[in-house]
Amino acid sequence: MSWRWALARRVAALTTPRGTGGVAQAQRLLPSSSGAGALLGRQHLPHASQIRSKVVGCRGAAFVSSRWLHDAQYHIHQDGASRAEEQQDPFELVADELSLLANRLRTMVAIEVPKLASAAEYFFKVGAEGKRFRPTVLLLMATALKFPMSESTEGGVLSILANKLRTRQQNIAEITEMIHVASLLHDDVLDDADTRRGVSSLNLIMGNKLSVLAGDFLLSRACVALAALGNTEVVSLMATAVEHLVTGETMQISTSREQRRSMEYYLQKTYYKTASLISNSCEAVAILAGHTTEVSMLAYEYGRNLGLAFQLIDDVLDFTGTSASLGKGSLSDIRHGIVTAPLLYAIEEFPQLHEVVDQGFDNPANVELALDYLQKSRGIERTKELAREHANHAIKAIEALPDSDDEDVLTSRRALIDITEIVITRTK
Amino acid sequence: MCHWDKFIRSSCYFHSTSDQTSREEGSTAKEVLDPLALIKDEVSEVTDRLRSMVVAEVPELTAAAGYFFRAGAEGKRTCPTVLLLMASAISMDMTDPIVGLENKLRARYMRVAEITEMIHISSLIHDDVLDNADTRRGIDSLNFATGKKLAVLAGDFLLFRAFSAAVSLDNAEVVSLLATAVNNLVTGELMQMSITPAQRCSMDYYLQKTYFKTAALISNSCKAIAVLAGQTTEVQALAYQYGKHLGIAYQLIDDILDFTGTSASLGKASLSDIHQGIVTAPILFAIEEFRQLREIVEQGFDDPSNVDTVLEYLPRSQGIERTRLLAAEHAKLAADAIDSLPESVDRFVLNSRQALKDLTEKFMRRTQ
Repeated sequence: MSWRWALARRVAALTTPRGTGGVAQAQRLLPSSSGAGALLGRQHLPHASQIRSKVVGCRGAAFVSSRWLHDAQYHIHQDGASRAEEQQDPFELVADELSLLANRLRTMVAIEVPKLASAAEYFFKVGAEGKRFRPTVLLLMATALKFPMSESTEGGVLSILANKLRTRQQNIAEITEMIHVASLLHDDVLDDADTRRGVSSLNLIMGNKLSVLAGDFLLSRACVALAALGNTEVVSLMATAVEHLVTGETMQISTSREQRRSMEYYLQKTYYKTASLISNSCEAVAILAGHTTEVSMLAYEYGRNLGLAFQLIDDVLDFTGTSASLGKGSLSDIRHGIVTAPLLYAIEEFPQLHEVVDQGFDNPANVELALDYLQKSRGIERTKELAREHANHAIKAIEALPDSDDEDVLTSRRALIDITEIVITRTK
Repeated sequence: MCHWDKFIRSSCYFHSTSDQTSREEGSTAKEVLDPLALIKDEVSEVTDRLRSMVVAEVPELTAAAGYFFRAGAEGKRTCPTVLLLMASAISMDMTDPIVGLENKLRARYMRVAEITEMIHISSLIHDDVLDNADTRRGIDSLNFATGKKLAVLAGDFLLFRAFSAAVSLDNAEVVSLLATAVNNLVTGELMQMSITPAQRCSMDYYLQKTYFKTAALISNSCKAIAVLAGQTTEVQALAYQYGKHLGIAYQLIDDILDFTGTSASLGKASLSDIHQGIVTAPILFAIEEFRQLREIVEQGFDDPSNVDTVLEYLPRSQGIERTRLLAAEHAKLAADAIDSLPESVDRFVLNSRQALKDLTEKFMRRTQ
């Protein structure tokens, strides 16, 4: 069944007493050219004007199947604006599946290590994980890469295989999240990172020991889960991602003076710390589905560019915060002596900034001075431009994927593109 | 905490070859087929490879990861030794050995040894961070030398390098065994960390924790060797049993030594376990004899007078002796596992098996 059919049913269900006549009503709502027979086949996009009521909050049950996108959530405005302009929240597309994953992870930790349960809660609960970015992208990527399946095999062997694949791809999302959280925990060792995504750093609350151990626990579970997938290429990719995370963090804590001023060094470190995990897991998702190297590389490229774009905007926001002006951000990077893209660009325009950077930022006067230069320079703008460039590369990667006329696939690809936009335009 | 390092400093280990004057073979066989001599070369090869396997993109990381593989810091390398001996002990009798195939297999066994050593070192490094240890193997601990953060990162790096290497063996079961071992190491540490007063007094809890922390790695790796050798499930299980009982025996003797040290009398040893609040087998046995000790143990050892109390009771109890008996039991079980291996007429195989059995006795006779 196509998602449009399901949507039409929902719309109808809202306007009729529960459970009665929904189907018939839905039929009337759909364009007449698509009669009952066409309901079983592929549909063209109905005009949004035909569906005029506001549909709110149709959260379907979460279920793992190749057709999970049926119960997607929609917001359709009453003024009947064309569908093409509608921003579907890409996070909502996978929200239910994500809840499933989050619960699985939470349960695993709670059962195996009750003492760590409250620790894990911090990172897997809603609101504390910065929108669960990575798993969202991965699940969307999984759908975006779906091989076409003919309707007649619904419920047959291929359907079962598709379910199995979906579960394995979900496992990648879980493994990725475990690795990510573990790296945060280990990064926090002896860092004075006070807050992490608005939630108090676990380290502060539970101490170094538990951070190390909790991180070790997550990493070891990731190892077990990876082993269970039984795919050597995938394990290699994820192991590489972990190595990169460690390498990136080491680069950060052991930067020499020259390296601190180098854009190349910074971008390499950024790739390791932020983009490698998501890019390698995207590739892993593609490989599990049995795609060619070309397609797998496209998935990789999407992840890599998205990750880089994300970090660059993060760097900007650290200076600007939710306002457009400088200095309203938390400035935590500069206060930790971490020199990011905006400053690096500013140094290119104002070489005298070298000195200030070399001296370090323990002295608040230096922070002020650096902000001054930054203001005068095009550092912020150029960083945004670079982020936009990467976002565009990400979009191109999606557009280069093999054609498909499966609605689910198209919706997910659109969502992945939307995410790049969200990443670039976000204000926090 | 894996006390391989204490064992490693023991002088008795490498005097073991003497026992091969045994029973079945003539003296000529000894020189030609001395498994330990051959193993020695392979073990050196393993160490050399390890140094190159931990090269990272960032020099600081390479240095940290390779810290315990430097010349002089690598300890007596018990893990690789046991594994390579096991490999020889269970190799199938080949009437017409294809040399190339043999070498290939041998290389894979060495890979397992390398992987196991990396996992082992990774866990040592993290243990030292968790325990705030200053020294390890007679030198500065890694966290003391480079700080906790880099030590933690180096441990992670080693772990996943090991994992990558495991994957390259292209055997899903082996990867699974090693992943299980890694998981067990962490579980053991967690059990230690989250122990309740009641659990502190439980022998079952203690033995389970000991298995996870000390025996799981070597037992799973032994089994991995058997899997790679294409052996039957029975032989795989025997290899596993050997590793498991060897590891537990080792730890039990370690527990005793923490109280007795180099002298037979109590109090002349490091007593580091009890000072860290870790309750080991001798005390657990003593509790069975002296009920009043239980309450003290449940209270924990923040109060130094509790330490004194326990040390008073211990010599009055059979704690040390019973621990030694338990260790001997496990040592025997390990030796039995070797004896249960399928018959072989290959002298090399038989000598390797004997060497493995001798190891169990060596462990029992340790004095430091």
